[in-house]
Amino acid sequence: MSEPGAATVDMGVEVAGLRLPTPLIAASGTFGYGDEYREVADYDCIGAISVKGLYLEPREGCPPPRIWETPSGMLNAIGLQEVGIRRFLADKLPAVRALGKIVIANICGSSLEEYGELSRILDQAEGVSAIEVNISCPNVAEGGIEFGCDPDMAARATEVVRRGTRLPVIPKLSPSASDMAAVARRVAEAGADAVSLINTIPAMAVDVETRRPRLANVVGGLSGPAVRPIAVRMVWEVARGGRLPVIGMGGIANAGDALEFLLVGAAAVQIGTMNFVDPGVWRRTYDGLAAYCRRHEVAALRDLTGAMRPGTAG
Amino acid sequence: MTSSTEAAGRPAPSRADLLPRADLAATLVARDQLSPDAQLLRFESEAPLRVLPGQFAMVRVGGGGLLRRPYSYCDLLDDGAFTLLVKEVGVGTRAIMSLPVGAEVSSLGPLGTTFELPPPDRTPVIVAGGVGIAPFVLFCRRLAETGRRGIVLLGGRRRPDLYLRDAFERFGMDVRVATEDGSAGHHGFVTALLDAALADAGQPALYSCGPTGMLLKVAELATAAGVPHQVSIERRMGCGMGCCLGCVVWARPPSGGPEEYLRSCTEGPVFEAETIAWDRDPHPL
Repeated sequence: MSEPGAATVDMGVEVAGLRLPTPLIAASGTFGYGDEYREVADYDCIGAISVKGLYLEPREGCPPPRIWETPSGMLNAIGLQEVGIRRFLADKLPAVRALGKIVIANICGSSLEEYGELSRILDQAEGVSAIEVNISCPNVAEGGIEFGCDPDMAARATEVVRRGTRLPVIPKLSPSASDMAAVARRVAEAGADAVSLINTIPAMAVDVETRRPRLANVVGGLSGPAVRPIAVRMVWEVARGGRLPVIGMGGIANAGDALEFLLVGAAAVQIGTMNFVDPGVWRRTYDGLAAYCRRHEVAALRDLTGAMRPGTAG
Repeated sequence: MTSSTEAAGRPAPSRADLLPRADLAATLVARDQLSPDAQLLRFESEAPLRVLPGQFAMVRVGGGGLLRRPYSYCDLLDDGAFTLLVKEVGVGTRAIMSLPVGAEVSSLGPLGTTFELPPPDRTPVIVAGGVGIAPFVLFCRRLAETGRRGIVLLGGRRRPDLYLRDAFERFGMDVRVATEDGSAGHHGFVTALLDAALADAGQPALYSCGPTGMLLKVAELATAAGVPHQVSIERRMGCGMGCCLGCVVWARPPSGGPEEYLRSCTEGPVFEAETIAWDRDPHPL
């Protein structure tokens, strides 16, 4: 790192058995298969990359329109267009490995069997350091309800992935669950090593002139700074349960945003939507975190996890 | 690729990765109000740019919404300055159109595939509607630099919507216009001028950018006449870098294989028109 004085702050964190050189992780679905931003983002500031969600087979995704901008946020209904696990391993993984970054594979399943098969395949793959489990997928066998909405189903998905791999398993929690802390407890019992949250919040927008929905899929997922206070609250609720390390995300645009998540209990954070807005977000956030640590005489950034104080800011 | 393209000896549009991309500060140095709702904005980039015709920038403007907005590079000037042609459609365009001269934006580019100049034995015929004319200024500049000419068919609803006609005339292009209200040139759609232009060109190569209905009509005529046709597709974009998958078009990949959703920011915005499945793409911007 060329940032002056950064050597005096230990920016490394450990989460789910992964030693990350920085606490900043690229969020799945916003950073492609990892190397797309190589010309414009400062990869030195990136601790790990969670790649685009993978199923066993390629998926064509939802018809357009797929995105819509909202106040301080965006809606998307991409429908998990992706290349399938085999093409990922053959064509995409080598390029991101060549960048020397820790790669987290994000997996999706239409069934428990699919989650299990994906975890077994990834267990044998070279160059994948952890598995993030997208449990916000519809369970086709049980009427299309999201795995992540129900603590039992979330636990079963986690368990089947756990059985298939020695890699760290990180369920990505859905904000649609009525009690995220309960989901976190159950996935912890099922063998998760950490949890990440939040996935996008189901939302929609309507064009009043045409009286039609803005997205072809009608409902999409809301992300970006608009969701951040909700995400901070959810991370706080899950983290104070104390069962698992938490990776927090939701509209992080700078160091101050990242610090909110760390202080309420996140061990690391992910940056997602803001990649689209500003690829410089990595360098700015990293430098801002280091500067904060120096200003507050914090020797190791990881000491800030859960360091929110009682009382109010006044 | 069909035989018509192979016969023209023209490769698929080239990949964006040919030129290095960067997120650069750019200063607004001049504004030309072309019509009540359209402006030509001139920016000076903090570093020299290399841009090919048809490529675009993702521009971030304070107060212009969360996401960047895609704009085709309209022209690239000798001193490294570039121009953007902007028509007011929403919060993003309103913000860039109300920037004071001297203000700075972030411009991420150059992005996307390019319009390829035709082989020497082919005469380019350009069909553009409204701000769809933007990428063809640089295209015609490059054409004129090699001493070549082409036919430019320019359409709009009214006379003020026929942007930058004089620029094309300065490059020596044969400019023909149409307006839907008959206030300039042919009274009707610009596509009505196509048959005569193709006949005058002899061995034509078609290029188009504009409203979806116009692009579809040009594509039909090009297919019927066996004329190669490159088209720039405009879609709502999130990132411009191939990561959000928001801007897709159902089309055949340049490398072959079955149709799939291709990213208009990365596999496009310029496509061989024959690779696009127009009937599966009913959602114009």
